[in-house]
Amino acid sequence: MKRLSIWTLLLPLLVLTSPDAWADTPNTDDAPAPEANERVPEPSEQAPNDDASAPAAEELVEDQPDAKALGDEQAEHSPIQIDSFTVDSFTVKAPKHGTGRKLSLKWDNVEFPNFTFDDASRLFFQWITVEPNKDLVGLRVLRRSNDSKDWAPIGDLLPPETISLEDKLSKPGSWDYKLIGVYTPGKREYELTFTRLAQAWVGTQEVIQGVRLNSELFELLFQFPSLLEEETRRATTLGLSSDSVTGKTKAYFLIAKKAHMMLLGLVVLVGFLMMYYTRRAQRGEEIYIRRIPGIDAIEEGIGRSTEMGKPVLYVPGIDDLQDIQTIASMLILGQVSKTVAEYQSDLIVSCCIPIVREVADEVVRAGYYQAGHPDAFNAANVRFIASDQFAFCAGTNGIMLREKPSTNIYFGRFFAESLILAETGFVNRSIQIAGTAEATQLPFFIAACDYTLIGEELFAVSAYLSKDPRLVSSLKASDIIKVICVVALIAGTVLASMGDTFLIDLFKIRE
Amino acid sequence: MRNALIRFQNMDRRWIFLGMALSIMIPLLYPINFPFKVDQRVQAIYDRIEELEAGDTVFISADFDPASRPELEPFYRANLHHLFAKDVKIVMGSLWPYAPPMVRPWLDNIAKEHGKVEGEDYAFLGFKAGNELAIKLFADDLVKAFPSDASGKKTAELPVMKGFRSLKDFGLIISVSAGFPGTKEYVLQVQGQYGLEIASATTAVSAPDYVPYYKSKQLFGLSGGMPGSAQYEKLVFADYRDDPGLSKAKEMAGPAQSVLNMGHLFIVLLIVCGNVAFFLTRTPKED
Amino acid sequence: MKRTIPLIVGFIIGVVMIGEFFIPHYRYRAMTAEFLEWGLILGAGAFILGLVNLVQVNLPKVQRRETDWQYKAAMLVALVITLIVGFAAGESRQADGQTFKWIYDYAFTPLNATMFALLAFYIASAAFRAFRARNMEATVLLAAAILVMIARVPIGESIPVIGDYLPQFMNWIMDVPNTAARRAIFIGAALGAIATGLRVILGMERSHLGGGES
Repeated sequence: MKRLSIWTLLLPLLVLTSPDAWADTPNTDDAPAPEANERVPEPSEQAPNDDASAPAAEELVEDQPDAKALGDEQAEHSPIQIDSFTVDSFTVKAPKHGTGRKLSLKWDNVEFPNFTFDDASRLFFQWITVEPNKDLVGLRVLRRSNDSKDWAPIGDLLPPETISLEDKLSKPGSWDYKLIGVYTPGKREYELTFTRLAQAWVGTQEVIQGVRLNSELFELLFQFPSLLEEETRRATTLGLSSDSVTGKTKAYFLIAKKAHMMLLGLVVLVGFLMMYYTRRAQRGEEIYIRRIPGIDAIEEGIGRSTEMGKPVLYVPGIDDLQDIQTIASMLILGQVSKTVAEYQSDLIVSCCIPIVREVADEVVRAGYYQAGHPDAFNAANVRFIASDQFAFCAGTNGIMLREKPSTNIYFGRFFAESLILAETGFVNRSIQIAGTAEATQLPFFIAACDYTLIGEELFAVSAYLSKDPRLVSSLKASDIIKVICVVALIAGTVLASMGDTFLIDLFKIRE
Repeated sequence: MRNALIRFQNMDRRWIFLGMALSIMIPLLYPINFPFKVDQRVQAIYDRIEELEAGDTVFISADFDPASRPELEPFYRANLHHLFAKDVKIVMGSLWPYAPPMVRPWLDNIAKEHGKVEGEDYAFLGFKAGNELAIKLFADDLVKAFPSDASGKKTAELPVMKGFRSLKDFGLIISVSAGFPGTKEYVLQVQGQYGLEIASATTAVSAPDYVPYYKSKQLFGLSGGMPGSAQYEKLVFADYRDDPGLSKAKEMAGPAQSVLNMGHLFIVLLIVCGNVAFFLTRTPKED
Repeated sequence: MKRTIPLIVGFIIGVVMIGEFFIPHYRYRAMTAEFLEWGLILGAGAFILGLVNLVQVNLPKVQRRETDWQYKAAMLVALVITLIVGFAAGESRQADGQTFKWIYDYAFTPLNATMFALLAFYIASAAFRAFRARNMEATVLLAAAILVMIARVPIGESIPVIGDYLPQFMNWIMDVPNTAARRAIFIGAALGAIATGLRVILGMERSHLGGGES
């Protein structure tokens, strides 16, 4: 098992030291996504839609008795003027160190022209009045997969000043993108009948003068799915489209950034040091740990409990099992329960989280078994009180006042209930030993308890109590890392004071 | 005399409780208010919100319970008044299961006073379990975290959520937090990764824990306990007293500061007297 | 075997979850997200066990009329009532007028606030007992505590002469020594957490597994 654990630690290292060129791409073509020069052709350059089935513009106008202007009976009849619509550098790239399901779209120098619009008798779109000076409402990005014909908009309308967008995909692959500038110009409102519109769709370029409708097609499809129904809707957008560009996703196996690699190195270093000192400890070398009075007091407290015929109360904090302090508390509970069993005393464990109670039950049972007193274990002494903080506190206080434990041990993560527990224990004249890494509660424990373990001392307790060379060696390893951290802090402070932020930048993590 | 001093040092703590009770009850009945200044950390929150414009949207994470009401409710209410008076839109969620029944009625009432409409001007998304995981999900996809709001309407279809898909899309995040999960988890999980602007209103016990985050600019503002709430209230009521939405509103933390005054004074007096008694009865062996 | 399998599972899951921070591949992240969901489900499932444990521990004590059995009976009755009312009301249980909301507003809220309010009294008695200037460190602690307490409240700012400087001094105490000490505790605790986590993942610590052998 020991050998297995060493090799299974090395195996991930071998994997992780491979270069990050193990990118997962849909095909082997690693050519970068093309950069599109997105100068959109003038409306006059656009080839008119010459579908022979398109009804004539005049016919459609005459067939649309519902088309009417609101509030303005003497509309002008000037055509829509559209100037050029230019987008520079519309690029789509897979972000570096990406998950393989993201693409970065970027464009800049978007210039949109001014609009003037046609009048009521000639137009079939309705738009909502906007501030007269704001022609451009926003930008919309359309997307389709390489093997599909249908475009779909991504998200909501983007503010006009947006210059980049990160698009999340459902699957990796190649995707086409279009960028649309969306306008709601004009001050007039018009109503439309959509059956007419559907028929007019094919010939809209002829019906609506000067407006390119390739993009409006998508806009309207997006806004009004039931185009063939006889109903009146309001059109809210009118826009122009860029040409499409294609981007391919790229999933990376490793974030090869400096800060991440430094952290990985730190974790590996801790693991390596732990194993190195474990070897040394197993060869018989004694590893020195300074005396921690609070931990020594645990055994004294348990002895006191036995003499007085009172139980020991253990409170593993109020946080969930996934918190490292709760895990450390469970590790300590194993040692404490073994000692309590050896002293033939009683142990009451008061839990706030049900799953912690289940783990505590197993741990205490194992402790009694290891001490050779499995029959002395009483499952009713490992109790779930309540999952609410203060209800738990009230219940635990009740245990203290009724069952009068002579030793209270608080190891884990605590919050506001810490002082209430500790003061009640004081009233009970119990010996109280507390340990937490929750800095806000340390002052309360220090004021009310006989012994308090601060921060990392909590994580040292299980190693200290067990005297197991493997565990003690891990303390040595974390101490070495602490020294390295202190040196790095001092060096970083000195360097930063001289204007060099090399060490600071080495540990900056940004997604 | 010496015996009296020793008895004083070892007195039954119920006398201390009685003294504390009197130092709380008397100022509640007969408040004596002293002027106070606004701390720069609280001022920073106020100033940043003042920079917001009508139509901007903020995300508020209301993570407190009835136990921390005295400290955080005044800030919470003043903050809502401030935001609504500026026509800023609010999207609110919570990581504490006990928060929604308490904070939602306040939100609805204050919104009504300002003539705001749920769904258009504000949304209450409800409680999300999962602690740090929930925060990560908010940052990733808020709409996925809350498919519908607390009223049962689809979050994605709410007008106030238009253009806002995740925490990254909000200009500002205000964490009204009484403990875990709360401000610390927001800072550790998402602030650095996405460069979010977060302000925190927290209990007096937790505020010292967040000062390092304020100093390193991971929080742009910090309001600690009732003093912080009182300072923020003072700023809001000074500038927005004439707003119709605040016509029924009252300062809560400001008047309650007199209780803090007396309570703190009592404890300080107790400590000083205890030490005087200790020194006067100390034998050389105790050195 | 009873302990080996959990060790192996713990090691694999532990390494996989550490890897999530370094490996961005979407398939890997989907796997770790699944593990986290399992954790949440297990935690939620354990609530049922907790409920059973509550009844298992307290009901016999009520039946045997042990010391203070009335409190346990009250707890069990409250548990049953809240469960029934909550389930019966369903999604609308927190709406105005619902019994569940009434229980929250008039039972839970005052009790919760009362327990928290106890802190004010307990801090007074704990401070009176603990803040004695027995040595130099205790004296410094005492002086800082008194200064911060006075400076935090308006009455401190109203003290003549020093009133203007007290808040500045308090801010200095919070910004410099307090921040330095807290950062030291954070870093130390974080390193301790790394070491503890690695000990558990690598199988050096086994006491949390239970079982019958070391």
